[in-house]
Amino acid sequence: MEVFPSQEWFQKVREAYNSDRELHSGGGGACDTTAGFSIGENRYFIEFAGLDCSQVRQCSEEDLATTDFVIEMPMETWRSMLQDVQKNGKASSNMTLNSIDLELEEGIAFSPIDDQYKQDLFYRYNQNFQDFFDASSRVQTTFES
Amino acid sequence: MADKLSSKAASVDRESKIVDPTKGVPEPKYDWRGLTNEWGVRVIPGPHGLRLGDINVGSYGEVPDYWQDQTRRPRGSVGRPGIPPLPYSLRSKHELWAECSADLYEEAIQRRWIPATEVPWDSLKTLPDDIEKAVCQMCTELSQSANTELEIITYWQDRMSYGYFEVKQYLATATFDCARQLEALRKRALSNGGGLGIESRGRVNRIILESSGGWTEAVVYLYLLRGTYITRLLTGLLSAAHNEAEAFIYSHMLEDHARHLTYGYDHLEYASTHHDDASLIMGTLLAVGEAHMAAELKEGVVSSAMAIIFGGGIKGARTHGMERYLVLVRDFINDYLAICRTLGIDREKSLHPVFKRYLEG
Amino acid sequence: MSEATEMPREHEIDTSWMDNMAEWGITAKPGKRGLTLADVQVGSYGDLPKVSDNMTGRPRGSTARPEAYRVGAYQVHTLSEIWLENAEYLYEEALQRQWSSATDIPWHTLKPLPDDVEEAECLLCTFFNEVEFVAGDVPARWIARTTPDYLEARNVLSAQVMDEARHMDVFRKRALANGGGLMRMSGATSGFVGSIDLARDFTEMSTRLHISGEGAVLTMFRMGELFGQNDAEKTMYRLCAQDEARHVAFGVMHLRCLGETAPERREEIECYLDEAEAQLMAGQQNPAGRQSESSEALAVLLGGGSEYYDEGHKKLLVIRRRQLKEYMKRVISAGFADRFENGRSPVPAQYAATA
Repeated sequence: MEVFPSQEWFQKVREAYNSDRELHSGGGGACDTTAGFSIGENRYFIEFAGLDCSQVRQCSEEDLATTDFVIEMPMETWRSMLQDVQKNGKASSNMTLNSIDLELEEGIAFSPIDDQYKQDLFYRYNQNFQDFFDASSRVQTTFES
Repeated sequence: MADKLSSKAASVDRESKIVDPTKGVPEPKYDWRGLTNEWGVRVIPGPHGLRLGDINVGSYGEVPDYWQDQTRRPRGSVGRPGIPPLPYSLRSKHELWAECSADLYEEAIQRRWIPATEVPWDSLKTLPDDIEKAVCQMCTELSQSANTELEIITYWQDRMSYGYFEVKQYLATATFDCARQLEALRKRALSNGGGLGIESRGRVNRIILESSGGWTEAVVYLYLLRGTYITRLLTGLLSAAHNEAEAFIYSHMLEDHARHLTYGYDHLEYASTHHDDASLIMGTLLAVGEAHMAAELKEGVVSSAMAIIFGGGIKGARTHGMERYLVLVRDFINDYLAICRTLGIDREKSLHPVFKRYLEG
Repeated sequence: MSEATEMPREHEIDTSWMDNMAEWGITAKPGKRGLTLADVQVGSYGDLPKVSDNMTGRPRGSTARPEAYRVGAYQVHTLSEIWLENAEYLYEEALQRQWSSATDIPWHTLKPLPDDVEEAECLLCTFFNEVEFVAGDVPARWIARTTPDYLEARNVLSAQVMDEARHMDVFRKRALANGGGLMRMSGATSGFVGSIDLARDFTEMSTRLHISGEGAVLTMFRMGELFGQNDAEKTMYRLCAQDEARHVAFGVMHLRCLGETAPERREEIECYLDEAEAQLMAGQQNPAGRQSESSEALAVLLGGGSEYYDEGHKKLLVIRRRQLKEYMKRVISAGFADRFENGRSPVPAQYAATA
């Protein structure tokens, strides 16, 4: 049982995502990007290289500034999204990263250097990130209180 | 950034026709409701999913012999009067149709390949210099052929009307195939200690690119005349592949190419059976084309390169290598004549003398 | 096989070409992304001519022949006219991320919808089917007009042609898979002066197609996950959005490259942006723009039915706002920020009006 958010949780998800190509849906495929997750006070750095998630680690605010884009949501939204994945095996259609982004006025993805080209990578590689979080259905998860 | 960008207050701007949120929600007109030629269509996916051909049901599957429309009206949708025309010059079915187009489109998507990551590049090993040069020269030649194919398809694609969208969609896959072949061949030439070779003189490229009379005419040269030869070249290269990387490239190019020829032959058959004179026109074009093809066959670069590959080097090229290449050419000509016969084109009596000599061996 | 007897003279081996190979000894190695087009840009093969004199269609870097036929009628033959820094990466990405509308869309999740919703979806699919015709035809035309010396950029356009065929296909399939049918065409894609397919310059075309047109459509595709009524539709729109984002990226990066390498063309590009903003951001080609049949359909879908039209219309304004914001930010990313600060562009005012 891993606690979200934590380095251990993300590592387990990464292992699940990398281990089974069945988790990579049509329209995914190889991509090369770095992104950050801003989860409450926690920051995580993730890198996709080719078909794999090559690394995911806890990081500093400064590290986030080096990423192509950052996904930032209220903790409650992160929790709801992942609980939905845990319950249904993958995100319901109104709880995908894209849906959540669209429901919020300012969205959830931004470029640290305010470059729309970089922010658009969230759209270009959306399926990979979705598949990654859908892979968390294979990781028993609790949430930090 | 949002503040910086929205420095001006909202204002009514009739010229820009932007909806002014201060005016409330405009009443919908719903002029479009009920405007359909056929409703209630429910196509169920089959064992291979929901394929393009599956949705050709009812009136949506009626492919007219002539498509009057010069707009981008989707076939089966309701038109609008007063829409300015676009230069879609190919509006007769016999000018582009092939019954297999929808199936080929889906097949191309299912059989896609990725040179960067699927070709086993690490299987490449150093080859003797003469063989490496021959392989690289063939990559260069085939690259230029693929480029010609890409250019002629994309030239004609936007002249084809949307009444025959299946053909346009299939040709989009052929466009993608050509781009991929250009890529794969270039990568092979630049990954094993070699480089590119000398460009093709381009005799047959020229007649393909200069066939401005119509798409059918281009197909005659592109697929019937040159494409049939390319098939034999690729088959020969595959049989003589030096490593798994080459085998992968040639076998996948052959698959792509087989689809292209299937479309080409199918289209020519449709044209010859649905348009008076089509077979005669094709015959005339081929009489001219054979002369160019013959000149290209006689030129020494491709024949020598293939002979070197077949012969395992220059020494072997001079004997069994060239012998094998000549068999390849003979097979090509026989294939070509067989296709011509099925199209009702009699080329045997007036076959170009050089072609005859190859047959006589 | 015969004994080793040499061939008759007419079939003698000619090895003269072997002394005329291009740069030799190249061994590009695969990297972590495999063997990409970037990896083979080595030595002279990576030299991109600022002006291409390749009129024969030869592969870039191959040895020219003096007697080769000049068959290339290449209108686009200067680097700045078409180049973008990441062309090879965009192409490789496109190859990796192809999908099949036949098998990757969960068509079995379609269920009968209320008539008004089904009609609205079918109208939107008819519109998108029609619009994607432009996005497929026009890049194809420019491939034929572009020298093969810029093969990386050409290959990206070839991938776009493939993507657009798939989009045409998926929208037609949706319209005919759930008890509906095609509706009335919009007519927004034909023959207006200054429209995408009448452009006689590549950058003019790309500005309209990639940056403003496809940028607007990208937002709508993304919104598909909100107004899609089932997994099939949501998946369809999401996958189309990924492809569209790649096309938009082409436009942004090309414009950025042009602005940097051909500064004498900046005012010209500003004029193209003026036109694009006037037409495409507010015109019939954008269902989230002026009120049109497709915008009404979109409002019905966003509301979840015609009885919730007003709610849907308000959501439409949210789409509009996003479109405008992201458009501005893309043009800024492309290096043309001034137009939003010096009052030239009407878009900031339009954006403010949607607040």
